[in-house]
Amino acid sequence: MKPRFDLLPPLAMAVAAVGVALAFIAPPDRVQGNLQKLMYVHVPAAWIAYLAFVLTLIGSIGWLWRREPRWDRLAAAAAEVGVFFTGLAIALGAIWGKPVWGVWWTWDARLVTTALLFFVYLGYLALRRVTEDRSDRARRSAVFGVVAFIQVPVVHFSVIWWRTLHQPPTVLRPGDPTIDHTMLAVLLVNLVGFTLLGAWMLRQRFRLLAQLEDLEDALAARDLELAGHSIETPKLEGRRSDV
Amino acid sequence: MRYRMVAIPAIGAVLVLAGYLVFGNLNQNLVYFLTPTEAVAQKSSEQAGERFRLGGQVEEGSVVRTGAETRFTLTDNKAAVPVRFEGVPPQLFAAGIGAVVEGAWRGDSFYADTMFVKHEEEYQPPGETSGANDKAAP
Repeated sequence: MKPRFDLLPPLAMAVAAVGVALAFIAPPDRVQGNLQKLMYVHVPAAWIAYLAFVLTLIGSIGWLWRREPRWDRLAAAAAEVGVFFTGLAIALGAIWGKPVWGVWWTWDARLVTTALLFFVYLGYLALRRVTEDRSDRARRSAVFGVVAFIQVPVVHFSVIWWRTLHQPPTVLRPGDPTIDHTMLAVLLVNLVGFTLLGAWMLRQRFRLLAQLEDLEDALAARDLELAGHSIETPKLEGRRSDV
Repeated sequence: MRYRMVAIPAIGAVLVLAGYLVFGNLNQNLVYFLTPTEAVAQKSSEQAGERFRLGGQVEEGSVVRTGAETRFTLTDNKAAVPVRFEGVPPQLFAAGIGAVVEGAWRGDSFYADTMFVKHEEEYQPPGETSGANDKAAP
């Protein structure tokens, strides 16, 4: 197959670069000054994590419904992307929290539920390595992928249900976003950039998972072949053939 | 099938636990800070020196810095608590911003040794005003 020009990686990097450049140009916040610019990376990271876990949910349901391996691969690849972006959101949030709140970390409901989300999906990835049997693995992780999704709305609404240090949603709320519209535009450019980066990562992992399965199949077939030979042609003449 | 006999009760237990966490009495323990109104209301029933977090808006014109101590008033527009904070406040600390302090009652003042700044979910360039900014902390 002739390699075609792949638009996704350059596009993702270009939009991400434009987004970062715009974040430098965007006006500083009245209260937080330039510290607020961390929002342009922290918020997209968190949203892409949510989106990735939605894809894990879709992949899990798809596998339970259709029993086709590609749904399982989608769920697995999306969970990896989601764990990465959740970790990124936590790290960037800590970097934002230190100068603004005064602490890297505190045990408020938003931070704790987000950490729980991170560890539960790490558990999902660990569960995928418990068994080598593909249909067992797919079934168990599909059930896990559906149940674990409960946490995503819990994380999102944690700042509304409970009293937290973390502020409530700015954009994903009913009504007009409580943010200057120039800042909102910059945020949306960064969101597109992060979405493309996430899509690129997802696609790479999805393809790699398919290739790994092909490799496993090929190795298994080769081993079977070797075993077959050893049964058909036992060596009866002694172990050394050079004397 | 043995798998289902284990899985279905397990999933049920997880759902019940999640529901209890969200809607049950555990909510009381998940309160990150008390408002000045709540802090004043439970002051008498509390053992002396019990530590808790107190959060509200820093009242305009109440901030006095004397050496290592910062004195100010935290308010939720219904009750106001005089706070004595020992330490270095976060850089965004100023009159009018939200703050959460950790400490205990001593007499009629709240003595705190830890402070967090709680900013709002609104972002505006300097010089522009929006009416929504005037609301008090929850």
